[in-house]
This record gives sequence, C-alpha cells and structure tokens, in this order.
Amino acid sequence: MDLIHNLYTGFAVALTFQNILYCSFGVFVGQIIGVLPGIGAPTAIALLLPLTFTINPTSAIIMFAGIYYGVAYGGTITSVLINVPGESSTVMTCLDGYQMALQGRAGAALSVAAIGSWIAGTGSIVLLMAFAPALAKFGLRFGPAEFFALTMMAFGLLTVFGGENPFKVIISTMLGLLLTTVGLDVVSGMPRFAFGVPQLLGGFDFIVLICGMFGVAEVFNSIEQPEDEGQAIKGKLRLRDMFLTWEDWVASRWAIARGSVIGFLIGMIPAGGITTASFIAYLAEKRYAKHPERFGRGAIEGVAAPESANNSASISGFAPLLALGIPGSATTAVMLAGFMMWGIRPGPLLFTQHADLVWGLIASMYVGNFLLLLMNIFLIPIFVAMLRIPYSIMMGLIVVFATVGAFSVNNSLFDVWMMLGFALLAYVMIKLKYPIVPLILALVLGKLSENSLRQALMISGGSPIIFVARPISALFMGAALLAYLTPALRWFWKRWRAAGQEARVGPVPS
Amino acid sequence: MWHARVFGGLAVLTLGIAVIFFSRQLPYHSDYGPGPGFLPTWIGYVLAACAVVVTAQELRALKQNETFFQPRTRMAIKVLLVIATTFLLFPLLGFSVGFGVFICATMRLMGGHRWVTCGVAAIGTAVSIHFLFGHWLGIPLPTGLVGW
Repeated sequence: MDLIHNLYTGFAVALTFQNILYCSFGVFVGQIIGVLPGIGAPTAIALLLPLTFTINPTSAIIMFAGIYYGVAYGGTITSVLINVPGESSTVMTCLDGYQMALQGRAGAALSVAAIGSWIAGTGSIVLLMAFAPALAKFGLRFGPAEFFALTMMAFGLLTVFGGENPFKVIISTMLGLLLTTVGLDVVSGMPRFAFGVPQLLGGFDFIVLICGMFGVAEVFNSIEQPEDEGQAIKGKLRLRDMFLTWEDWVASRWAIARGSVIGFLIGMIPAGGITTASFIAYLAEKRYAKHPERFGRGAIEGVAAPESANNSASISGFAPLLALGIPGSATTAVMLAGFMMWGIRPGPLLFTQHADLVWGLIASMYVGNFLLLLMNIFLIPIFVAMLRIPYSIMMGLIVVFATVGAFSVNNSLFDVWMMLGFALLAYVMIKLKYPIVPLILALVLGKLSENSLRQALMISGGSPIIFVARPISALFMGAALLAYLTPALRWFWKRWRAAGQEARVGPVPS
Repeated sequence: MWHARVFGGLAVLTLGIAVIFFSRQLPYHSDYGPGPGFLPTWIGYVLAACAVVVTAQELRALKQNETFFQPRTRMAIKVLLVIATTFLLFPLLGFSVGFGVFICATMRLMGGHRWVTCGVAAIGTAVSIHFLFGHWLGIPLPTGLVGW
C-alpha cells in the first residue's frame, strides 16, 4: 500500500504542467547531447547546473534525470547511422547497428533500440521503486565506519571498472581526494594547501571543476579527434522503415530481457556505469547465442541487448545515489553536487525528509521514458539534422556555458581561471591515458570519506579495528580489498592460462 | 608518446613527494583523533608509490609511434590561447562583448567562416549572453568599457 501511496504522491508531482515541461526539455536535450559527439551527459548537466539556482530542486532534478537517460537513447542514432557512438555507452551498438543500417535496416535497428530501451527503462523503474526504499532503510543502520567502508568499496570498484591501468585509476582517485583536502579543515579549522591564497580557503568548488574538466577539456579533446570517422548512410528514413517484423520481435525479446536485468544489476554497483553494462550485456548475448558468428554482421540482438542494458543501468544508478548518497557514475556525481547546491543531502533520510522529490523523480521517469519512445520513433530526422551543426559553433557555445557556469558560483573571475586550469589538467590527463571519472567520483565522495574516517577513529579511540569489527563495514571492506586485488588476480589468471596453453601446445618457436 | 607518459609519471611522483612534504607540516594526530595531516600524508604516499609503478610501466612500453602532439594539437593550443586572451580581456570588454569576440575568432580560426558570418554570430552571441544570462537569469556578469 505504501508503494501505491508513494507512487500516487510521485505522479502528483511529476504530472504538474511545470514538471512535464522540464521533463520534456530534459529528455529532448538529452537526445541532442547523445547525438552530438564530443559532449556527454555529465558535461551537459554540469553546464546547466549553475543555471538552476532559481529553479525548484524537484523540477531541476527531473530535468537532469531526463538528460541522463535521454543521452542513453540519443547516442544510438549516430552509432547506427554513421558508425560514430554519440556516447561511450553506445559503442557496442555500432558493431551490429551500423551493419544493419548498411543492409538497409537502419529503421529496425533504431526501433529495437528505442523499444528495448523503453521496456528496460520501465522495468528498471519498477525495480528501483522496490529496491531503493529497502536500500535506504538498510542505509539507516550505517554509522561513520560503514560510510567510510562504503566509500572505500566505491574507490576499489573504480580499479575494476574505471580504466585499463589500475595504478592510473588509483592516481586519478588520489588526485580527486587531494583536491578535497584543499581549504580549511572542518575539524581543526587549519588551512591545508591554500598557500596563502584567500580564494583557496573555501576549497575548490565542484561546479568550477566539472565545468573545466568535462566542458572545456572536452573541447580540446574533440578538436584533436579526426573528423568524418563514420560513413553516413545514404537515403531517407521513412516511418514505415521503423516497424519491426515478427522475426525481429522473436529474435530480440530475450536479448531485451537479459540486457535489462544485467543493466539493472550493474547500474546498482557504485562505479559500475552504463558503459560497462552495455559491454557486458553484448558479450553475454554473444555467448548465449546459438550462432555467435552473426554478431558484428547485423544481428538485431546485438543492438537490443546493449541498448536495453544502458538504459536500465542509467535508471538503477539512481538507487545508490538516492538511498545511500553514493554516485555510481560521473553523471550521478554531478547530480549529487546539484543536490548539495540546493541544500539537499541524498542518503537514507532523503526518502522520509524529501519524499515528494524522490517519488516525483521516480514517477517522472515513466513520463520521460514514454516521451523518449515517441521522440525516437517520430523525431529521428530532426536529431540527425543536428549533426550538421559545425563544431566551430558548438565548441564556442560549450566554452561560453562553462565560463558563465564557473563564474556564477561566486561571481569571481578567479574561478574562471581555475576552470581553465582544471580543463588543462583534464586534457593532459586524457592524453596520457589517466581516466577522469575516478577523480570526479573521489572529489564528490572525498569529504564524506575523510569525515567518516576521522569520526570512526574518534569513536574507536584511534583503533582501526572498528572497520572490521562491525559486520556491514567488514563486508564493504572485504569487497574493497577484493576489488583492489582484482587486477592482480586477473594478471595471475592470464599468466596461469597462458602457461597451461603453452604446456598443451608446446613452447612457441622464437 | 612514451616520453610524455614517462614525464607524466614523474610529474605525479614529484606531486606525491610535495604532498608528503607539505602534509608533514600539518599535525598528523590531534586530541580528538587523526589530525588534518593524516589523510593528505597517506594520499602523498599512495601517489608516489603508484607513480613509481606507472613510470616503470611506461619505460617498459616504448611505443615510439604514438606522439603527444597529434596533427590537430596545434589547433587545440590555438583555441586555448584564444580562450585565455578572452579571459584577459574580460575586465576591458565584459562578458557579453568578450564572448562575441571569442565566437568570431573561433569560427574564423576553426571553421574558416566568412568575416560577415563571424561578425553576425559575434553580435548575436553578445546580445544573447547579455539578455539570457544578464537579464533573464540575473547573473551579474562583468561589464566592460561598453557598459555590457
């Protein structure tokens, strides 16, 4: 009964004229962002965040959520039509989607992606409604030791999912943590790493940082990318091309179901992310297929599975964010910054203190997913036309939004220069293959992590045993340890398998 | 590219050592538990340790064919310089006019658009920024000599 009452409350919030408008705007912008290569969901939200100072937080978060799952839909269009993923989460869609398009089945590929995403998204919302309140209740049992262990687990999982080189992931995470230590220490009041600069005493503002690292740095990186990587599909897309045949339905139904479940589970893991979900769903589908050789040659399951998974994961990623205050991806990290900016702390108490916001957001996802399904079937030519906007204009607009965003935080030109500095840092890091996402997640979780660590050690009189003496904390610490050891275990497994193969085949002649 | 990556590793190592140095000037312990220097000290140690491993990895993987400076890196640097110049001119031109000039410069530099197109875009940008951010959203944008 509680669930129905909560959903009723949610729809009462989501179906107001104002919130439908923000939701529509969010999913529309999300679609456009997804279509345009070189700008992602975290960048878009980061750039729009400072403009929402005066908006009702519920409407703003509904809009941002719309952008987030809208991006997962939009990236598919370019993956299928020009073989260029608009987003990293749609990379796998290129493999079979583009092949389908070359065979004259672009409409079917886009349709199965839209319908699969809608089914997965809707299913994921139902599961989110069931799991998130339970997760929040579980979160009420957390003390400082549990929160510290949870952040350790999130950082540990980054070494598994965050990049190719675990050491570079750890360096990136440490840089993020280091940035959170700049400014006045909240416990002792001592300045740390401010070097006498008064503007640094308050620490780095998250918005300034993400405007630089996601907005302007992305501009520099996009300029360096070679142009016209993909070959555009010739001919017009007609509405009748969008309808699926019975064979398509039969071939893709289980792929959608499996992709939805995989996406939901991976989205729930801190640092799991929608890209990982789409990769795993594609690989799982290929493994289960009776004819895996069809994959990469235009198999409809190869589009249905990753598309369902990325949308499902984008919805379930809200569970750890809302219930525990732990973001699972760069986008949810930026949203967490938004919550903080509006004076709302996501976590176990959010479901009781801001029930209208939480349930309004969840109900808006039903509305948003339905709008996206319609937009994907009827508005694709408009989104394709967006690709014709020259990057020289797009780039200028990104820089303008990023700069105004950074300036508006404190109305200070110092922040504008800081933003440019962080943009350069991110640009160099990306060129040297250091991932950015761990830095952002560490930056968001850094204060929580340090404060929880210090509070826990104060409670225990300085003994670190507290982190393993409490069962939940011990569980998280164990998971963190396992995550940190995973790259080493993977390395040993590869060596062991190679040694086994060599023993069977004999040494490779040099 | 490998040497750039090696320099990257060494830069992180230097940063790690500097963090350890400055953290040691902060109290490691306090009366009420770990002090303000506790976490930064450990961050410094982890940074330095990982930097040593990464530098060693980069030294072993000598991929000479990858270069730090790609064919279009020069363009990225030019855009960076245009952005920095625009920021320097903000006290003189203000945000609206400054960004108008910026849009004109980048459209010309990157897109090779005609001067007339760039000029129209510049005026459009300046007016849009002034009304969108300055009036509608109420952000007190810095004004220059023009008063915009």
